[in-house]
Amino acid sequence: MIWIAIRMLTGDAQKFYGLVFGIAFSTLLITQQLTIFVNLIERGASGVYNVSSADVWVMDPVSRTTDVAYAMPSTALDKVRGVPGVEWAVPHLRAQASVRTKDGDLEGVAVIGVDDATLIGLPKAMVEGSPDVLSQPDSVIIDDVGTTRMFPDQSPIGERLELNDQRAVVRGIADAIPSFTSTVVLYTKYSRALNFVPGTRNRLSFVLVGAEDPAQAKALSERIERETGLKAQTRDEFARDGVQFIIENTGIPLNFGITVALGFIVGVAIVGLTFSLFIRDNIKQFGALKAIGVTNRKIRRMVIAQAGLVGITGYGLGVLGTIAFIWSFSANPTFKGFYIPWQIPLISLAAVALILALTGWLALRNVLKTEPAAVFR
Amino acid sequence: MAFNLRNLSFSRQILPVIAIVALLLAAIFIVSGLPDRTLSEPERDPPRAPEELADAPRVAGSGVVEPSSELIQIGSALSGLITGLYVQPGDRVTQGQLLFTVDDRAARAGLREAEAAIGEARAAIAEAQTARSTALRQLDLYRGVDDPAAVSRSEVIRAEGEASAAGERLSLARARLEAAQARAASARTEIGRLSIRAPIAGEILAVNIRKGEYVSTMGGGGSQPFIEMGQTQPLFVRIDIDEEQAARLKLGAPATVSPRGASDRQVQARFVRAEPLVVPKRSLTNSAAERVDVRVLQVLYALPDANSEEERLFRVGQQVDAYIPAVKAR
Repeated sequence: MIWIAIRMLTGDAQKFYGLVFGIAFSTLLITQQLTIFVNLIERGASGVYNVSSADVWVMDPVSRTTDVAYAMPSTALDKVRGVPGVEWAVPHLRAQASVRTKDGDLEGVAVIGVDDATLIGLPKAMVEGSPDVLSQPDSVIIDDVGTTRMFPDQSPIGERLELNDQRAVVRGIADAIPSFTSTVVLYTKYSRALNFVPGTRNRLSFVLVGAEDPAQAKALSERIERETGLKAQTRDEFARDGVQFIIENTGIPLNFGITVALGFIVGVAIVGLTFSLFIRDNIKQFGALKAIGVTNRKIRRMVIAQAGLVGITGYGLGVLGTIAFIWSFSANPTFKGFYIPWQIPLISLAAVALILALTGWLALRNVLKTEPAAVFR
Repeated sequence: MAFNLRNLSFSRQILPVIAIVALLLAAIFIVSGLPDRTLSEPERDPPRAPEELADAPRVAGSGVVEPSSELIQIGSALSGLITGLYVQPGDRVTQGQLLFTVDDRAARAGLREAEAAIGEARAAIAEAQTARSTALRQLDLYRGVDDPAAVSRSEVIRAEGEASAAGERLSLARARLEAAQARAASARTEIGRLSIRAPIAGEILAVNIRKGEYVSTMGGGGSQPFIEMGQTQPLFVRIDIDEEQAARLKLGAPATVSPRGASDRQVQARFVRAEPLVVPKRSLTNSAAERVDVRVLQVLYALPDANSEEERLFRVGQQVDAYIPAVKAR
């Protein structure tokens, strides 16, 4: 019986491909746009995720994200170290600076000063060189996306830069997720970063904290806030702050929301129209089936099978399209680190199911009302 | 329904299979593409609180290693060329040991001059004494004559005058001797001042002068001290504690100290004293123009002695991280 339904469905190839295309297209639209949306706003948290060993970030109470931070006096580090439950704490400097390249061009960069002794604050992996190069004089490590912007078509290793009248030599490339603005990032030791960044009174942007018990990071951050009067955020909280900052300060959520809604509407329109047309065309067949004694329940199951086939095929092709898209752009530095969160295909699956349920239910209403006599009309 | 190639339909069979394969591929792609956001342990050990302070109230501070005598910057009382340099960095010296000498030719010439003057004065004394004894005997002779007609009155007056003049000449010569002796002593002092000696027993930490250089009493070139020394047995560390934390500090308790870059090698340092003066934080930021608004309490701790040169963990001027027990918050 199900097989008959499937034959019925694929009997008219045009309509069948129309249905599959409709589902595939809206799946593609919803999945791909949601993926880009999530990845774009997660760029706001890349600064946090690039530091792989800190459980808690401590900052001035007015600091909001990794890039919107107000510096603290240097004794804040010792204050944090004095809080029970803090296993270790290291200084972390983040500042904007202007760099003069060999050609004389001026480029805005983010300077990140990592702890001198332990190099905590560097990204986990390196593309070229090792973190130890920072022990050589005046060395900096550039991030890989910054490389493509600042040194297109050449290796940055050994290049000299001028930062705040100081010499800096690029000696390594870090594998980091770029920030929202894709600023070039230069990693160096904390003490050297102080020289690279024009002097202000306080320099310490963050204190990175390792918790004795990483599972208790939330409680630790609260204790740090209570005992030092500074603001402490766990890694996840601070990542969320970065995402929130982008949501609040850009039009991205609205833009992408509109596209996702369009995908849904296009899906409903194409699939709904085609599906109900298809059902209406086959109303005689359904009538015939009813005439030979097929129950409404069986017919309902047949329509569900038809919807299921269309759904699975369309959805599979749509997801395949998204993957092809992400995969083919993965080499592009703009899309560096883009990934498909596992929730998004489930969301689009739910959307597809909703579209099919809605249109199937509308179409079924006619079928169920059909008299067996319809076959003679 | 037997499988039949002729019945194989693209839309009924191949397409759904493609779709299912695509879904499987997608699942693999998505799972393998998820970003690695797990927390990792730092590769190098950051300074950690010692075991016994891990969950106890504590205060952390950073500081600098210094000699227990504090750093002594040896100066020179007189300016001149350096003619001899007798120590090098790392030498242990005793109190009063010669460190370097400044050109003393002028002072020695002065000394020889004064010594010559002493000889001259001694000769003058001898000459004056002879003259005086001659004059006194002459006078005695005249006074011994009873017959007033034998010696004229004027002869007697002249003899008396000669005797007293000879006495004056003698005291003048004696005064000259004293002056010359004083000059010699002052020249010797000068020579002594041109040899610079160690004020205390200790270790030479830096030598910024070389033989033949000119040292001026106004300080060396770039106002570097000539020689820096200090008592390095034991070494002290000067820990800066934020004034807000100072009240919590348990004074008298030993501190756990580790040098920068070797945080796994922690040592116990004995409490020495807290400086009575709270000073503005001298940030160890290497920046030339340091502007401050944080004040710190400086607390001194004595580091344990190293057993051998190889085991020497702390050196003067090194930065350290310290953990100190705190009193329980009320």
